[in-house]
Amino acid sequence: MILRLALGSLMARALTVAMTVLAIALSVALFLGVEKVRTGAKASFADTISGTDLIVGARSGSVQLLLYSVFRIGNATNNLTWESYTDIAARPEIDWIVPISLGDSHRQFRVMGTTVEFFERYKYRSGRALEMADVVVMDDLFDAVIGADVAATLGYTVDDPIVVSHGIASFVEHENQPFRVAGILAKTGTPVDRTVIVSLEAIEAIHVDWQGGGAIPGQVTPADTLRQMTLEPQAITAALIGTQSRLQVFALQRAINNYASEPLLAILPGVALQELWQIVGVAETALVAVSGMVVITALIGMMATIFSSLNERRREMAIFRAMGARPRVILSFLVIEAAVMAAVGAVIGLGLLYLGLLVAQPVVDARFGLWLPIEAPSLREFWVLVGVVAAGAIVSMVPALRAYRMSLADGMMVKI
Amino acid sequence: MMTKFVSAAVICLGASVVHAEEARQLDAHEHGVGQLNIAIDAQQIAIELHAPGADIVGFEYAAQSSEDRGAVDEAVARLARPLDLFGFPEAAACGVVEARASLEIEGEHAEHEEEAHDHAEHKHDDHDHDHADHAEEAGHSEFHAEYLLTCADPAQATLITFAYFDAFPNARELEVQLITDRGATAAEVTKAAPVLDLRELF
Repeated sequence: MILRLALGSLMARALTVAMTVLAIALSVALFLGVEKVRTGAKASFADTISGTDLIVGARSGSVQLLLYSVFRIGNATNNLTWESYTDIAARPEIDWIVPISLGDSHRQFRVMGTTVEFFERYKYRSGRALEMADVVVMDDLFDAVIGADVAATLGYTVDDPIVVSHGIASFVEHENQPFRVAGILAKTGTPVDRTVIVSLEAIEAIHVDWQGGGAIPGQVTPADTLRQMTLEPQAITAALIGTQSRLQVFALQRAINNYASEPLLAILPGVALQELWQIVGVAETALVAVSGMVVITALIGMMATIFSSLNERRREMAIFRAMGARPRVILSFLVIEAAVMAAVGAVIGLGLLYLGLLVAQPVVDARFGLWLPIEAPSLREFWVLVGVVAAGAIVSMVPALRAYRMSLADGMMVKI
Repeated sequence: MMTKFVSAAVICLGASVVHAEEARQLDAHEHGVGQLNIAIDAQQIAIELHAPGADIVGFEYAAQSSEDRGAVDEAVARLARPLDLFGFPEAAACGVVEARASLEIEGEHAEHEEEAHDHAEHKHDDHDHDHADHAEEAGHSEFHAEYLLTCADPAQATLITFAYFDAFPNARELEVQLITDRGATAAEVTKAAPVLDLRELF
């Protein structure tokens, strides 16, 4: 009975109510959207590397090792000697091991030396493998595979020549040994997009004519001679490891961390990513706080609308009272009205969110490499919606209590 | 000529110094905080526990008095019963395949060892080692334990309750590293909240 009256009363004031509902819907959509982006960003971040059990490098900190080996931010404190690398690679727990060697650059992008196995082993977003947008893997010594951002920024296509610079932000070029773009990787949203990948041997090859950090003047080993040479690196920067069994990961990690001949560090990428996220994650809390404020603002807006409507509805309330409605009925009448508005707002907000996700998902994935999954509302989101309705009912108590006290006396004395 | 000779001698000396040098390293050690590594693969769950002696028995010197030795023996025996310390839901039907616990004093190995294979009975007779050797050691000591469990229904093994904190009142916190088919992650379990919900970790 009260519900029907409440609905009827809302319909009668459709325009004002629609505006209030719209405000709530937008705020709810914003709040849930921010939640989606936040969890999506966290997941995308955590999915930067998957399928790798351990990352090994020189002993430093786990976050630092992760930063330079996976995100190509900062530099290694030390290299990992080839001897230790082969030692570790020979251990029985190892299923696969992929060396990576960093240190050279091309324009603003890092060059990474590795083996062909990298393309097979590097996984992101829960086990997705790297895909070639443009085919051909490294066959020749001087073949390079470039990430999607490198290709897009520098406008490279397959078969374009690339000259690698020595070091990072350096003007010394390895101009005698140009590379050829052999393949372009599809966009992944990971740091691989911003990397030029060459073979480990190629990294050695371009440094054959170098000594003590500079090119030996006049000495140029022809490319074909380099192709014939056995080029074994002295050192690499880090290595990605997959183990035979998950149960052996911790034992292998401890063995590497206690490796006596060289101070090494083995990290679990997932754990290091989490540590890193704890640093970055402060922004996350700020985002949630701001969008929470928006919801509160919308609810207070609704309270204001109900307040101002009370004036217009004095007579309505008085008639209800005169017809025998108790003050409690008036109270619940207003609270139900508000709860209905908040509920409709929440549902429309949810609809807006999914509409927005449908439109934005491919764009956001392509532009920012941020994957926003479209899935049924989580339990958390459900409670957020319930919370909004409950909060709507609670804030409406303020005007409702006023109506409760004033309804009779006020309404009967209306002067027109 | 003289300078050449001297520098050669210095190089030789340097070389011998390098040879004499040994690798020195010590693990980090924080009282109240232990490390727990859990790896879950199909039906098998491998668990490793590293806990400071201070957490488990309340002291880290080499046990000499019969009272201290008794405390160490008792602690090792308790650590060799993993399901009493780390509880999995009954529905998962987990059993112990292998449990091994020992006390290690910095640099030394296998002070005490307790092994249990396939629920074998825990015997304390073989612990009459001589502890006097390590009397002078003022270093830290750590209890190490390794367990292998199998669970009939690993999908139900979603929650771990840590009776560990009741068993060892000095322990305040465990830093947990977890590997499952969804990757690796880390968490902290404290005495105040001695439960780890594996579903919430990913």
